Amino acid sequence: MKITCVIPAYNEAKNISLVVSGVRPFVDEVVVIDDCSSDDTSELAKQAGAIVFRHPLNRGQGAALQTGNDYALEHQADIIVHFDADGQFLPEEIKDMVAPILEGRADIVFGSRFLGKKSNLPAFKKYLIMPLAQAFTRVILGIKLSDPQNGFRAMSRTAADRIRINNREMAHNSEIQIKSFQEKLRITEVPITVVYHHFGQKLSGGFQVVKDLLIHRIIK
Amino acid sequence: MLQQIIAIIIIVFFVFRLVAQKKKKIISNNEFSLWLAFWLVAAAAIIFIKQIDRLVAWLGFSGTGINFLIYIAVLALFYLVFRLQLNLAKMDRNITEIIRQITLKK
Repeated sequence: MKITCVIPAYNEAKNISLVVSGVRPFVDEVVVIDDCSSDDTSELAKQAGAIVFRHPLNRGQGAALQTGNDYALEHQADIIVHFDADGQFLPEEIKDMVAPILEGRADIVFGSRFLGKKSNLPAFKKYLIMPLAQAFTRVILGIKLSDPQNGFRAMSRTAADRIRINNREMAHNSEIQIKSFQEKLRITEVPITVVYHHFGQKLSGGFQVVKDLLIHRIIK
Repeated sequence: MLQQIIAIIIIVFFVFRLVAQKKKKIISNNEFSLWLAFWLVAAAAIIFIKQIDRLVAWLGFSGTGINFLIYIAVLALFYLVFRLQLNLAKMDRNITEIIRQITLKK
């Protein structure tokens, strides 16, 4: 089984070498999609052993992930892992993420910060943003997953083939979850650890996600 | 009455401009039809403003016909902005697809 790790990166020169070299022992191939960084992200990722593609214009994380998926599908990947470039995920947890697919129990696996493992989530995020996001995804979108905004996921070839990411920015997290349910894929959640170096998505970003989801649902 | 005449003159000016643009093939048939319909409806609304006043009163609104037209115009503007946003989103999606093709074909 060929496992390809797709890492979208934008101005991540500080972290990318460590992330790529950390991930490499757990996958067959690491693909970094440099989303038009103005620093040395591409060069450093190449030096660390990744296959690198560079968007000529900044298009957002969702767009970079779909570019990576297209490459991985073209190059016969059996499992695609999405992994962040900022070093907030633990590479050794990749094996827990791909296990349900390797065992034939799931088509798509979502990482979750709320299933036991400890993440140093900022309090504002933990007690306000996350409960709001969880309520929105459960009540409005009908998604029953514990973590509505997690970028650590693994998908089988079938899942990647059936889910086309149209939201080029942060709404892709919810979009992938929605499409997984719509496509009736076998979905599993796996507890993961997230090490926060910065706050990440703010409350205003949440409203942008809702707006993007609505627009993309209308234009299909 | 004078205001109505001025408004009609302005509309006639825009209709002439529209026809000229059509002749020079600056706008498509569909655009021409849409804008012509818009100006004709605007002219009709101005000519029959008294009847609109009566219609508005009959519908139970307290304002005059011109107020009613402004409400309709605001609603139409909201709708146009919404359509514009959808078109921009479609264009944005196409740009992303082109960028992806360029990125992977290099």
